[in-house]
Amino acid sequence: MDWHLLIGQATANGLVVGLLYLLMAVGFTLVFGVMRMVNFAHGEFYMLGAFAAYFFTTKLALPFLPAVALSFAVAIVVGSLVEWFILKPFRKDELNGMIVTIGLALILQNIALMMFGPDPVSMPSIASGATTILGITVANSRVVVVGFAVVVLLLLYAFLRHSRAGRGLRAVVEDSETAAIQGVRARIYYPLGFGIGVGLAAIGGALMAPLFSVSPFMGQTPLLKAFMVVILGGLGSIPGAALAGLCLGLLESYSTLFLSSSTADMLIFLLVMLGMLAFPRGLIGRGEA
Amino acid sequence: MTTQLTAGAPSTPGAWRTSRSRGLAVACAVAAALAAAWPWAAGQFVLHLAILACINIVIVNGLSLIDRCGQLSFGHSAPVALGAYGSVLFSSALGVGTVTAAALSLVAGALVAGVLGWVILRLRGVYFVLVTFAFAELVRLVLLDAGSITGGANGIAGIPPLSIGGFAFDTRERFYALALALAIASVGFMVWLFSRPLGRAMTAVAANPALAESTGLSVLRLQIVAYIAGSVLASVGGVLTARYIGFISPESFATGASVAFITMLVIGGRKSLYGPMLGALVLTPLPEFFRGAVQTQHIFYGAALILILRFLPGGIAGVLNIKAAWRSAK
Repeated sequence: MDWHLLIGQATANGLVVGLLYLLMAVGFTLVFGVMRMVNFAHGEFYMLGAFAAYFFTTKLALPFLPAVALSFAVAIVVGSLVEWFILKPFRKDELNGMIVTIGLALILQNIALMMFGPDPVSMPSIASGATTILGITVANSRVVVVGFAVVVLLLLYAFLRHSRAGRGLRAVVEDSETAAIQGVRARIYYPLGFGIGVGLAAIGGALMAPLFSVSPFMGQTPLLKAFMVVILGGLGSIPGAALAGLCLGLLESYSTLFLSSSTADMLIFLLVMLGMLAFPRGLIGRGEA
Repeated sequence: MTTQLTAGAPSTPGAWRTSRSRGLAVACAVAAALAAAWPWAAGQFVLHLAILACINIVIVNGLSLIDRCGQLSFGHSAPVALGAYGSVLFSSALGVGTVTAAALSLVAGALVAGVLGWVILRLRGVYFVLVTFAFAELVRLVLLDAGSITGGANGIAGIPPLSIGGFAFDTRERFYALALALAIASVGFMVWLFSRPLGRAMTAVAANPALAESTGLSVLRLQIVAYIAGSVLASVGGVLTARYIGFISPESFATGASVAFITMLVIGGRKSLYGPMLGALVLTPLPEFFRGAVQTQHIFYGAALILILRFLPGGIAGVLNIKAAWRSAK
């Protein structure tokens, strides 16, 4: 084993994990930007997305791509309804809103536990074999997942940048009052923003379902990572979340080369706490503290 | 009515009302004393729940103290864990008595809280919430990782009971006396603190930090004091937990514990001094009603959190206050 092969392998693994963090964190930070709400139920939507994909592929025998798209649609609908019926009174109310999402997370996780049971299930792999590029071996299923994730992010970018709804959403994130004065109907964008945010988490879950096992508790680790990513990237900053997500994935992957994984976890927690104190507005200084 | 007749007071409505509210207070005190004494007569099971409720009262009072100074901690399980592990490890490593070890662990907990608070209390709102969350996870990971000292995931079993000068709190009856005394002391401490200038200053900091700073109060210093005091209360709860249950593991102090403390605080009432006590008293026995249906219990917790915040932002204490106000207005 050469050093550069080892590093290359770690980079490939780190990119896969980093993309997952990125999907989680971008949705999380979008919800915070729109509603000023730290969404503790974000990991549960990741879990619901994974279960939805599992249900669509194994029970309804759908192909993977429509299953992921359906999971996303389900999450947007569920998320918008949840926002409209439960979270509406708590918009812009940071602390109470956060506690409400803790309650929401408890409810969603335990409903999943009652419906699917505590045992993890696994989904059939979506591609077999492995590809070797420049001596680095990556399983094909991972390549497919990475491809999907990149496509989703490009679509999201195009949506936010060029569509009317996406521009309205960004205007609400920037300043909802001024946006309302300019004729953006903020009333619609709150449920939409929350729905898209948790929809991204659900896509993350659906994409990762074939790689990892699916269980009601699977959302907790990604939620924790999303916290750390958005702290590093600055709450409410989408480019910050993207950059910090990839960095965290790579960092975790490299650090496991040299350290045991629990030591690496601890170091990353320390790093995040220090980073938060040194850059309270996020790595690229666009977060809204 | 009898007091009025014997005192021969003129029967103005005001005098009638004060004597009536004094009678109400006496009745409440008697009822509370009876309720506090009831577990001794009601058997081991009720005693067990009562002890847990008392421990939770101490811990949630600590959380409430930090909250009343304007910062919500989402890592309140961390000082509880530090107190629990500290008291056990100090006594096994230094060979000192259980009380000395408990005192040492409280001092250590206060030092950690002081240094940590000095650093992280510069953050506001959700940033503070997230960093306390990260710290609690860090503590849990360290406890899991340092297996040679803390027993790792297996935890520490067979912790000897607390004993003061040869008197061991080794039965539930005895331990309940200790836990009850500490719970009452913690409620008394909160009432005392918030009737003093220091407590008022903390309330002012929570209400409007910028205004408080401009009137000469040091926001950071007051919040550090509140954070240390709240963490020490949590550590007291941790010491009690370790000595009562006799077993601790990192999983006892996971995120779920922090969520439970916040739930108790919110359901009891964040704005009231008695809220933490009410929340702990109501929520501690609750799992027994849902025995064998943990999921239903958690769904109930979640729904209660949402509904209380939506319709009763003052929690249970808020409801009682409304009733008291209505009664005195009548």
